[in-house]
Amino acid sequence: MEGGTVTRIQQVLWKLEMDYIGHPYYVSGNAILHALRQSLDSSVSRTLHASHGMFVPGQFGRFPEEHSQSGVQPYLGGGLPEVNAYEDLFLHREPDHRWLLESRPREALNTHGLRTDAGYPTLAYRTIIGRPRGHRNETQTTRWYVHAYLHADDPAALPLGEATLSDVQFGGKRTYGYGEATLKDTRLVELEALEYSRLEGADVHLIRLITPFVTASDYPGANDVAVPRWWAEDRGDLRFREEHLLAAGEPYVLETIDHGQVVEYLGDRPVETARNGLTRIGSHSRMGFGEFRVIPVLDRAETTHGHGREGR
Amino acid sequence: MVDETTRMIDVYRHDAHKFHGQSHVDAPEEFAGVPVNRAVPYGADADAAALSRPPGRHEPVVPTHETHYRLSLLTGDAVYIPDSRSRAAVENDVRDLLTVADAESAHECWLHSDVATLFNEAVAFPYTSLKYHTLLVAALSDTYRSGLSFENLHLVVDPTNEIVPHRTVYSGDRFALRIDAHDGNRPSARLGSRPWRSWASTWNRLTAHPLNTDYDRWDMALDANLRRIWAWSTALQYLEDFTRWRGVQ
Repeated sequence: MEGGTVTRIQQVLWKLEMDYIGHPYYVSGNAILHALRQSLDSSVSRTLHASHGMFVPGQFGRFPEEHSQSGVQPYLGGGLPEVNAYEDLFLHREPDHRWLLESRPREALNTHGLRTDAGYPTLAYRTIIGRPRGHRNETQTTRWYVHAYLHADDPAALPLGEATLSDVQFGGKRTYGYGEATLKDTRLVELEALEYSRLEGADVHLIRLITPFVTASDYPGANDVAVPRWWAEDRGDLRFREEHLLAAGEPYVLETIDHGQVVEYLGDRPVETARNGLTRIGSHSRMGFGEFRVIPVLDRAETTHGHGREGR
Repeated sequence: MVDETTRMIDVYRHDAHKFHGQSHVDAPEEFAGVPVNRAVPYGADADAAALSRPPGRHEPVVPTHETHYRLSLLTGDAVYIPDSRSRAAVENDVRDLLTVADAESAHECWLHSDVATLFNEAVAFPYTSLKYHTLLVAALSDTYRSGLSFENLHLVVDPTNEIVPHRTVYSGDRFALRIDAHDGNRPSARLGSRPWRSWASTWNRLTAHPLNTDYDRWDMALDANLRRIWAWSTALQYLEDFTRWRGVQ
């Protein structure tokens, strides 16, 4: 642990109160900063960094095996459980949400209900399972949440108060009420105080991209970024996706290495790398891009045979 | 020695009982004059099941829908509510599908079948699809038969209308998907060392996505949901349903 450095992040969980029209992979960090800016002093908002906001079904769940807690918890998706270890930070950040219970219709609970508004897909703010047909049929309603975290260049800027976080709006058609969300929970986490023993206990590590990594941007002043040397993969091995960044009303095109992909880590400082992955790397990292998770591989054979890339 | 061609046609008829909501134990050995409900060789049925549902016995995940008719992941509704008229038409289509004589033709009929989309592969998991379960069983049977093992297999993206007998598991207007050995020229991802509900993991690792996710908001929404689905037959059926639904938006 490096002496003196304190990196605090503030986790925020919002509950969607209305359908959402916008980026369907996540609420971008840019949109989150925009929403918060309305109620913040510019000296504070200038110092803030926001992750992308991940969509989470407000469902029962079982803590994943690598989590510091275990067992089934009601509404695991609709709250912010205690964070003791590095792995705990990712509970809500991967869209396949493997903590959902086997005994429930997880596919239906974890896919967005889609509607059309003026030719655009709209994500529903809730999921209803078991439509009443005839009479006395049970229905179950599950609400969608948005999980994000903030950090700041000036650590004194955090935590943001509930008044700032409480009522926000994301995405398009906001004057019609779309994208309204209310604060459900928030939690401050000190990265240096977390347990990293699972990473330290492995010789081999993989990296999973939680959000896209920006390699080129036509935003003024942004530099092209090479694929990190500490990844075994090069450009030819990777899937790219174009992203768009709206700044001061202008759309800018970003070339990104698409999220969800897994690369092999060639470095030898996994804990330091893991922390960098939380505060993110590359262009536009202040707005959510370049977040990644370091995954320990306990058996070297798993990498060479690809097992470790299967998503666990 | 069982003739290999006979074996592949059996694969397309192995779950005939699921069209009629019968358990495997009560399943007849013959339907419309053809042998049905025979065991699939090489363990391909169990492996395909593991791609779409958890091991062991389960209570229905949707207690209000305890039937062999599929629930749509797209709309949330049952895709088929039988009445006396539709029942006869469905029965006819099922008979046509199961009595195709030639294995390669049967594969093509299943790829384009509507009737097989009306049924789930397990009552406890109503969002799964009998159509795509059967196509996955066929792809695994055929690859195992040729000497490949599960850990050699990849999901491969092909151009539309390029159908590889028994191995193409999805054929749409814009692309096809196949389970096969590695194909260096096409986008692909390894399935892994053993079968599990790995759809999202595999889709996430494809070296290119056959969708226009740079600009097309509908493709982005489809992709976003495909990254959230574990079960293979549910995901492939969602691709089919989404494409059809989008066409009328």
